Amino acid sequence: MRMVGAMSQLHRPALGMSRWRRFAYRFDWTLFVCVILISAVGLANLYSATARTAHSGKFDNQLIWTAAGLCFFFVFAALDYRSLYRLSWLGLIAALVAILVVRLLSDPIKGSHRWLDLGGVNVQPSELAKLAVIAALARLLHDRAREELRKSEALAGMVAIGAAVALIASQPDLGTSILLVLIIASVLALLAVRLWPVVGAGAIGLALTPVLWDRMQGYQRARVLAFLDPSADPTGSGWHTQQSIFAVGSGRLTGKGFLNATQNQLNFLPEHWTDFPFSVWAEEWGFIGSVGLLAMFAVLTVWVLHIAITAPDRFGTAIALGVGAMLFWHVAVNVAMVLGLAPVVGVTLPFISYGGSSTVTFFIGLGLVASVSLRRTPF
Amino acid sequence: MLIRSAPGDGDPRSPELQRRLVWLLAIVGLTFAVLVVRLWQLQIVRGNEYYEAARSNVMDERFLPSVRGKILDRHRVALVDNRPAFNLYVMPRLFNDAVRARLVELLELSEEERARLDQRLATARKRRSSRAVMVLEDQGRDRAGLVAQARIELGGAVEVHAEPYRNYPHGLLAAHLLGFMNQPSSQEMAELEKEGYDATDFVGRFGVERAWEKYLHGKKGIERFIINARGERIEGAEVEELIQEQSFEPPVAGHDVILTIDLELQRLAEQAVAVHAASAIAVVEVETGRMLAMVSTPSFDPNVMTGHLTPVEHARLQGDPRKPYVDKTLQQHYPPGSTYKFVTGGAALEGRQVTPHDHFSCPGSHRIGGRVFYCMHTHGSIDFFDAMQRSCNVYFWKLAERVGIDRMAEVASDFGFGAPSGLGLNGEVSGRIPNRAFYDQRGTHTLGHTLNTATGQGDVELTVVQLVMAYAALANGGRLYAPKVVERVVSASGELIREERPELRRRVSLSPNTLDVLREGMWRVVNAQGGTAFRFGKSGVVEIAGKTGTAQVRGRRPNEDAAAPDPAEWDPERDHAWFAGWAPARQPEIAIVVLIEHGGAGGQVAAPVAREIVEGYFTRVRARK
Repeated sequence: MRMVGAMSQLHRPALGMSRWRRFAYRFDWTLFVCVILISAVGLANLYSATARTAHSGKFDNQLIWTAAGLCFFFVFAALDYRSLYRLSWLGLIAALVAILVVRLLSDPIKGSHRWLDLGGVNVQPSELAKLAVIAALARLLHDRAREELRKSEALAGMVAIGAAVALIASQPDLGTSILLVLIIASVLALLAVRLWPVVGAGAIGLALTPVLWDRMQGYQRARVLAFLDPSADPTGSGWHTQQSIFAVGSGRLTGKGFLNATQNQLNFLPEHWTDFPFSVWAEEWGFIGSVGLLAMFAVLTVWVLHIAITAPDRFGTAIALGVGAMLFWHVAVNVAMVLGLAPVVGVTLPFISYGGSSTVTFFIGLGLVASVSLRRTPF
Repeated sequence: MLIRSAPGDGDPRSPELQRRLVWLLAIVGLTFAVLVVRLWQLQIVRGNEYYEAARSNVMDERFLPSVRGKILDRHRVALVDNRPAFNLYVMPRLFNDAVRARLVELLELSEEERARLDQRLATARKRRSSRAVMVLEDQGRDRAGLVAQARIELGGAVEVHAEPYRNYPHGLLAAHLLGFMNQPSSQEMAELEKEGYDATDFVGRFGVERAWEKYLHGKKGIERFIINARGERIEGAEVEELIQEQSFEPPVAGHDVILTIDLELQRLAEQAVAVHAASAIAVVEVETGRMLAMVSTPSFDPNVMTGHLTPVEHARLQGDPRKPYVDKTLQQHYPPGSTYKFVTGGAALEGRQVTPHDHFSCPGSHRIGGRVFYCMHTHGSIDFFDAMQRSCNVYFWKLAERVGIDRMAEVASDFGFGAPSGLGLNGEVSGRIPNRAFYDQRGTHTLGHTLNTATGQGDVELTVVQLVMAYAALANGGRLYAPKVVERVVSASGELIREERPELRRRVSLSPNTLDVLREGMWRVVNAQGGTAFRFGKSGVVEIAGKTGTAQVRGRRPNEDAAAPDPAEWDPERDHAWFAGWAPARQPEIAIVVLIEHGGAGGQVAAPVAREIVEGYFTRVRARK
């Protein structure tokens, strides 16, 4: 990391260079290469997971979304993230409205109002809402540190963010709301000027867990119970976890090889391309491949944290931390779920899971991080 | 152009983050470490276990039924064969309560059928749940059609397979000899599984089906294939590799077993005793020991016994005092009565204790000590031939006094009594030939025991097959053969697998002269005026020789002259009626024993049956050849 920093010092671009060359010089290629590598793994894995099945068209879709995501990545990298400062509250309000619209207009898919049909493209506003929440939180933390923030304003901001989480939880989308809580808690724990209010809020949140349990849908409760004892009902709720563990374990050291994952190809894990792609990867590439993929995520996470620490301002730090937390918790929860360490909740694996909203959200998020990274050195 | 907005140079940085960085890195590092350790545990430590679990998840086997060998008569006419039947299978993995309820409703399954279904399913689930399990066998066309129609509705969890099913085209005919089949118990399965049987297989239970199981059974084929989570079969070269074993082992058909039995004679014999409540018949070729017919009545229907035996029917058969489940030619021994007198006579002649022309006086009874033994009639002064012809007890009692019980037992053993004949079916019993040691063991031997033995009463017990082999030996000049019911075993493609040759056990020790005298006596029984079988047993078709017997049961005196009883009536106090003999008398071809259990007098009841069978043999069966 130091090396790269030093290099950019040495080859400080002179004024008068073309805009493209300046961009290319300062652009965070490390970040970009990490993202590209992980996306390539995701595409290959999706190909294997759906090859020779009725779902093989999903690969083409994902290819399109990945291309679209890359475009967004560059657009957001080129835009100054600081422009989001003014827009952050507007963004959060837009997200709340979108979620409400979904709530009111859409047909529930599998008992949940998550998707919004925009002329043939199903969009999941709750995914994009994560970014809106991160931006709003960043503004709040930025203002707080400049001591320009009145207590009432801070409270209003937190209430708005809390409302977004509550709305998503009531869709119901347990996975996304848990993720949001984790992201918010992480960012606050790292950036709040005083820690005690955060700890207090966390304690109150935990105290409210029984209420959450009470509000959960039957299938969600069954999944949590199945997680606590997966062998209790192997063909019921524990089925996913049990079969996922079979898939991962059967990969052994070197895996069964590309396109040879029987557990997944023979459909022992329904819809494995959204929530369980890691089990396909682990079955085909074994311990070596699994640890390799985790290492890529670890490098990406640490790199994003590095950007956060070296960001030029507190707003950028908060944005990078938020996206980093989003990335980290998605990976941790998803892989833990695949390995039977966490209950089955709908949390995607960044760039690996099939799905347009998730893919585009991560590309935009990391585009924002790239934007922060780009502006660490002044012109 | 980049936009400048509120946050800018000189904005406050984040000293909090710097302070909390250690915690941040610790949590991130720890999380990844936990995931890697878990991966290590799953993939390296328990990898092989999960690899096998995943493999058996997707690999399935289906047995391909092999066709069981047929059982044929000596002219290659099928006595037992196979017919197509619809068997109902369920896939345990897909068969849930809803499907079960639908199936019960659809087929209107009875209480008993539901219990059978549940029990077989439970057994299968304990073993290996991916394999289809047969729950109801031999269902009718209607049910097969209903299930086929409702296939989708039943979620693919129920299948109907048309498979070969054991068929006994002649119904009750020779049922004890042929046997039947049913499902093995779980204890038996443990053994049978090693030989390639599976839980839904039937196994031979009685007669030839049981004794020759290993030849008849054949070998099931196995088809291994890959299935997905819904139990659907997946084809393709890629998945074939997973199978690792041979993916297809073709079924091997069982061998056909060709019997020495003649279907026509068997049928004739069964018709001849159809009116009698209970009987046993054996007909054998005297020069080879090959059985031509073996009858035991009352009988059971092997078609019912094979997969369709209801508890009610089983209770009825079990409770019948005439013991339909017992093979009366082999599994049960009886006192032979006067058919046994050749042993006494043979011993005396051979030991020169009597010559054929020695006369003894029969006053109608014989007194020893305080006890009086009664004869059937007062025969007066008679020689050996007369004594045989008219079955005089006193004459043979007097011979027995000279010969002694041990010498009689020796001759009896020589003719094969007291030991299994070696037919190898249905757990043959040995019978019993008492001697002095036998009685000394139980108390004291008295002369009374010797006299009872001399006329085939008291403690003498023998089987129908033992007796027919002894009479065959008498007829053929003293060669005692081992009885054979199987002639050869032939593979489905006609290749000879095993051949059963005539097996001479020994030449009996009686001299040709003695045998001649015995045969002459037995010729007179049937063919001379006054012979016990003359009235009912003499044939106009072929000369028959033989001996009647009326074996007393429960201590009652035999009554040769009682009026002919109702043959269909079962009276367990009535005497056993015997006829044992051969034909033609001078150039013997076949030996025959007829036992009418509790039938009454031998000459009156058993002899006409024997005559009918023998006449049928010479006019219809043999003439056809």
